[in-house]
Formats: sequence, structure tokens, C-alpha cells
Amino acid sequence: MPEIIVKPANLKELWKMLPGLPSGRRYLAGGTDLVTADNAGAENSECWIDISGLPELAGIKETAGSLFIGSGVKISEIERSAAARKWCPALSAAIPHFASPSLRNMATLGGNAANGSPCADGVCALVAEGAYALLALKGKKRRLPLKDLFLGPKRTALKKDEVILGFEIPKRRRAGAYFKLGPRAYFGISKAAVAVTAEISGGVIKKARVALGSVAPVPLYAARTSAWLLDKKLSAETMTGASDMVKAEVSPITDTRSEADYRRDMCGVLLERALKSLA
Amino acid sequence: MLEFIREDLGLKGTKEGCGEGECGACMVLVDGRAVNSCLMMAVQLHGKELVTIEGIKGRDGGLHPLQKTFMAEGAVQCGFCTPGLIVASEALLRRNPKASLEDIKLELTGNLCRCTGYEKVLSAVEKARGK
Repeated sequence: MPEIIVKPANLKELWKMLPGLPSGRRYLAGGTDLVTADNAGAENSECWIDISGLPELAGIKETAGSLFIGSGVKISEIERSAAARKWCPALSAAIPHFASPSLRNMATLGGNAANGSPCADGVCALVAEGAYALLALKGKKRRLPLKDLFLGPKRTALKKDEVILGFEIPKRRRAGAYFKLGPRAYFGISKAAVAVTAEISGGVIKKARVALGSVAPVPLYAARTSAWLLDKKLSAETMTGASDMVKAEVSPITDTRSEADYRRDMCGVLLERALKSLA
Repeated sequence: MLEFIREDLGLKGTKEGCGEGECGACMVLVDGRAVNSCLMMAVQLHGKELVTIEGIKGRDGGLHPLQKTFMAEGAVQCGFCTPGLIVASEALLRRNPKASLEDIKLELTGNLCRCTGYEKVLSAVEKARGK
């Protein structure tokens, strides 16, 4: 457990507080990753900064062109949001597969990203939604495609003390799906997961985004498969073609959860099922 | 928070199973929603309402309908997971008094029980609906 936990009231107070805090510090939001690591003896920062109450990270807001989901928004809040259901079809489909109901009451979407795990269900779905991450560090703000936030397992492009403010999701009418293969139907960490969104007009794919979880060092945006789907009919041939292509785009490993070859094959199967569900 | 509940408040109904959010034995209600108390820091309770299994009672102050149906159905064996199961079921029935069997199963995915095989737990929650 850290020696101190501080809780700034807002971002301005956070930036003011930072110079006086020990350098071994981490942000605490929902706690479902950080406190688990601490309970297991794998977390040894001197200081946690509880950002769960920061008003700047709260809420789901619609603007003319996009939907903003604050990084402090809990997964179960997204589940209850009509705007999120309308504009984030892949994310909405992912939520029942995100941990358990009680963990969804605790875990935040920002934490799901900041933790940097390649198996993060919320992140994989958000990448397929074409989301941007909005970041802030002492008044300096930046915005980058969410897919570029991830550098490797548990490694992100976040600078020291940088905060994820939230996620910006373009408001475009699209269909979406999330297919996850875990050790059981619910509440398991995925062996492989596929998120897809597509804008379909007259049976033809006008824009598609395919993202995969647990089959690369990062939540993977399948750029080649996504580009290949453009202007294709949503036919059985397209589904098979995309399925073959995505298998060449992933780089799964064998670990305690599954085997590389099986994971690769399942990426094809899951993508085919996901595309079929959009038809 | 779990340590705070058990050691400082002396409320021993909330159990520690896994300490990593997998088993649900430590479940409590914070502002009416089920959470795993092993993964929250006590300071995060500031300004919030906490209800542990000790606070779940019937309208007459006696046993809660869920506690009665758990007993009647034989949904308790070793009893270690029971407080968490009752807390999770209470959170569901407050939100959705007409929860279907499928809703109940989904809600209880975060609660492990190694004795009952779940069937009796599910029928106990079904029988507590509307009570």
C-alpha cells in the first residue's frame, strides 16, 4: 500500500499538487488493476493520486460531431447511456464481456486504456470506433488516435503525470460488433477478441474498422484488413477473405491463456462471425 | 476497504476470498451498487453510502426476503460466498425487481460458489423477486 493517497478536487489542484508529491506516484481511478497489483505485492509506489472524482474526467457528453466519454466514467455508466448505445455499437457490444457486473461498477474506461493491456475489452472496442484519446499535462492538451496510445504490453505513450481526460468518438451512423473468445462465456480474460465497426450502404461496406485484443503486443488496429474491406460487398466471399487476411495481420503468442496457432485461427473465425452479425 | 470493514468496523460478514476481484465474497453496496471491497481503498468511500451484509434486512428489521429464500432453498452450504451472493442479488433486484433467470445468471457471474453448484442459489433469487 502507498504511504500516502491524495485526492485533488480538480485538474488545476492536481497540477499544483504534483511538485510536492513523491516521484514514485501513480494515478488511482477505479482501482481494479492498481489495487489488484497492490494486493498481490506487485505495486510499490509511495503515492497514489486518486483522480476518480475529478470533474474534468466525468460524464458522457454529445457535441455536434462527436461523443465524449470521460476517462473517469465507469463501465456500468456506459452501459446505461443511451448516447453511448447509439454512437458506440462495438463498445456497447463489448460491455457484457467486460469483467463482471461489480467490476464494471468500479472500473473506468480511462483505466482500461492507461493500464495498457493488449486484452482490454473496452479499448479494443474503442479502437474499432475510431476513438481519439484526449490527454492533458499541466495545462498542455493533446489529442491522438487511441490506437497510437499503445506501445507494447503495459506500455503507453503517456508521459509522466499525463492524464487521460477522455475519449472522443466520431458520431457517424455505423454498425458494430464485439466477439470475444475466453475460457467461458462471461467474466474471463480473452484468448482473442475482435471488434468491428462498418458503415454499410446498399450492402456495400463504405468504411470499416477492425480491432483485435489479446493477439498482439497492443490492442491492435488491423489497418490492412480494414482498408481491404472498403467498397466490398458484405458477402460470404468478403467475410472469408477478411478472415484470411486478418490471420496474417495478428501476431499472437502462446501463454497461460492460449496457444499462438489457435489464437490466430480464432481471429479469423471471430471476424467472420462479427461481419456476419452486421449483415 | 475490506480490511477497514472487517478490522476497524468489526463487521465480519464481508469475507475475503481471492483479493483480486474474481470471487465476489467481499461484495458490498456503495451508493446502492455492488462493488468488490477488496479492490477499493477505504478513503474512496468519502461522501458515499456503504451497506454491508449486516445492513441488508427485511422491512420488519428481521431477515431479508433473500436471506429467507436462500435458507428455504438450501442455497447455503459452507456459507463463505453467501454474503457476497446476497449483496449482488439485492443490487440486482433493487434495480430490476422482475429480473429473469438469465438476468440473475449474468448478475452473479462475479460470485464464485464452490459448494452449491449455483442451481439452488438461482432458484432462491428467483423466489425472492417481488418480496
